[in-house]
Amino acid sequence: MSNATLERPRPRGRGAPVSAEAAPRRRRSGWWLLLAPILAFDVVLFLTPLGKLVGASFADNAYQRVLEDPLVVRALVNTLTISLASTIVTVVLGYIIAMVLWRAGNVTRVILFAVVLLPFWTGILVKNFAWAVLLQDNGIVNAFLQGIGLTGAPIPLLHNRFAVIVGMVHCLLPYAVFPIFSSLTSIDDRLGLAARSLGAREGSVFRRITLPLSMPGISAAGLLVFIISTGFFITPVVMGGPGDMMIANQIDYYARQLTDFSGAAALAVILTVMVSILVAVYQRVLKAGGQHEDN
Amino acid sequence: MKTTNPQHPLLALLSIPAFLFLVIPTAIVVPVALNDSRYITFPPEGISFAAVAGFFADRAWTSALTASLQSAAIAVVIGVLLGATAAIGLHGRKFPGQPAVVGLILAPMIVPTVVLALAFYQFFISIGMVGSIVPIGLAHAVIATPYVYLTTRASLAGLNPALVRSAQSLGAGPLSVLRHVYLPIILPGLISGALFAFSVSIDETVMSLFMQSPGATTLPVKMFTDIQFNLTPKIAVSSALLVSVATIGLLLQVLFVLKRRSSTRMLPLAVSAQT
Repeated sequence: MSNATLERPRPRGRGAPVSAEAAPRRRRSGWWLLLAPILAFDVVLFLTPLGKLVGASFADNAYQRVLEDPLVVRALVNTLTISLASTIVTVVLGYIIAMVLWRAGNVTRVILFAVVLLPFWTGILVKNFAWAVLLQDNGIVNAFLQGIGLTGAPIPLLHNRFAVIVGMVHCLLPYAVFPIFSSLTSIDDRLGLAARSLGAREGSVFRRITLPLSMPGISAAGLLVFIISTGFFITPVVMGGPGDMMIANQIDYYARQLTDFSGAAALAVILTVMVSILVAVYQRVLKAGGQHEDN
Repeated sequence: MKTTNPQHPLLALLSIPAFLFLVIPTAIVVPVALNDSRYITFPPEGISFAAVAGFFADRAWTSALTASLQSAAIAVVIGVLLGATAAIGLHGRKFPGQPAVVGLILAPMIVPTVVLALAFYQFFISIGMVGSIVPIGLAHAVIATPYVYLTTRASLAGLNPALVRSAQSLGAGPLSVLRHVYLPIILPGLISGALFAFSVSIDETVMSLFMQSPGATTLPVKMFTDIQFNLTPKIAVSSALLVSVATIGLLLQVLFVLKRRSSTRMLPLAVSAQT
């Protein structure tokens, strides 16, 4: 409280003693100096480029032009279907992993955490390269499938939608595990104990206690993963076929192949607006779920 | 403590493929790079450093490595300076417009990278700043700064603002407050923030791809360009280098988490860097 009054600008300073007034003023100006660099940097190198982008998107009837392009419509449909499929797979796998983490002892938990964080620290190209090695015609997955006699000839596992989803899920999993894990840890252990002592089986404890109480984590994870999915650019190129291009690839195509800046800008604005709406919903969900992670 | 929730056998069984799915791709990268074959295969046929030697003898790849390190250096220096000053400046303060300032600081994390790539591409062309690593490093700094801000803010959470005021009332000047009050407390946050910033920059592909030029092609861009034609041993070596960096980052993070005993504190918050 006293803190706030000290730092508020004080309009009536005339009668106050000089020394008492000078100290807070010096502190106040120092504080603004600390914020000035980042504000200046973000205004010049973040807001200005984005502002120019938005400005460019209104030239040449760009919005109408791109939305009438069948390639764009296809990329939008691809983005939605691929993102949705990746999100569902990611959340299911993420839930399983989060449950194991939740129930693990302290040492095991740290090791498993490291395993979950490994793909997070690894760059996307490295991950996609590794998947390309695994999924290629003479790769180990095909060798395994042939070895167990499931197929005689190599199945094309690369350069198709399956590969794109595999590559994306691998990148997205850490983002699903953490929100779900943090909602699981906020469940009171005694609820499960009480249910079991009253004769509930594992299955019904999960269905009637764990799952409903971790719903906020699931919806947060789902939204976050979907938001990240919509911006994927590298994976569709490296692991997909020509029919798997997403909206980010279309932006690249307009900018660097067609050199149609206004068209590319319009697409970029459409993607950003979509993502911003989802982010707003995501923050709502986080608040409603009572997760204390304020980021 | 966890005996109340024993691991369910069915769950444990289900989780094995999930964990293998997470680990295997990263685990094969180094063996693939050391494979004694002209082709990319796994499992490797024998151990050889021929591909590594080939990588370091190839000007195109070594200059890509240099470009990546230069852009990461720019991103780390700017990210640490801006992120740390912002976290200190906002610590323990409430003022009108504060949510907007925090929102602006964090905003680069939620804008899709491809959108930023396009915006920077246009912007740097329009101001005639093309053909060097500097615009790429600056772009990386924009997305790296929020990470440093967040890690520094997290390490400041335990600092009572009253401590700062008492230091000041005892006659400490601004620099001496920074050095003796803030610096010791934010140091772990600064280090992990710098690590994040380095990792974000060294792996970033899309912005670097849009802004590439003959002298400024980073490692991921070179990999991305080559991978579309063929899987080559040099891509494998480059991947192995990046995986080594990732492993160091991960180990430091795990040590940090162990020391702090707060496993949820270091959530991966990134939206932008990983697409």
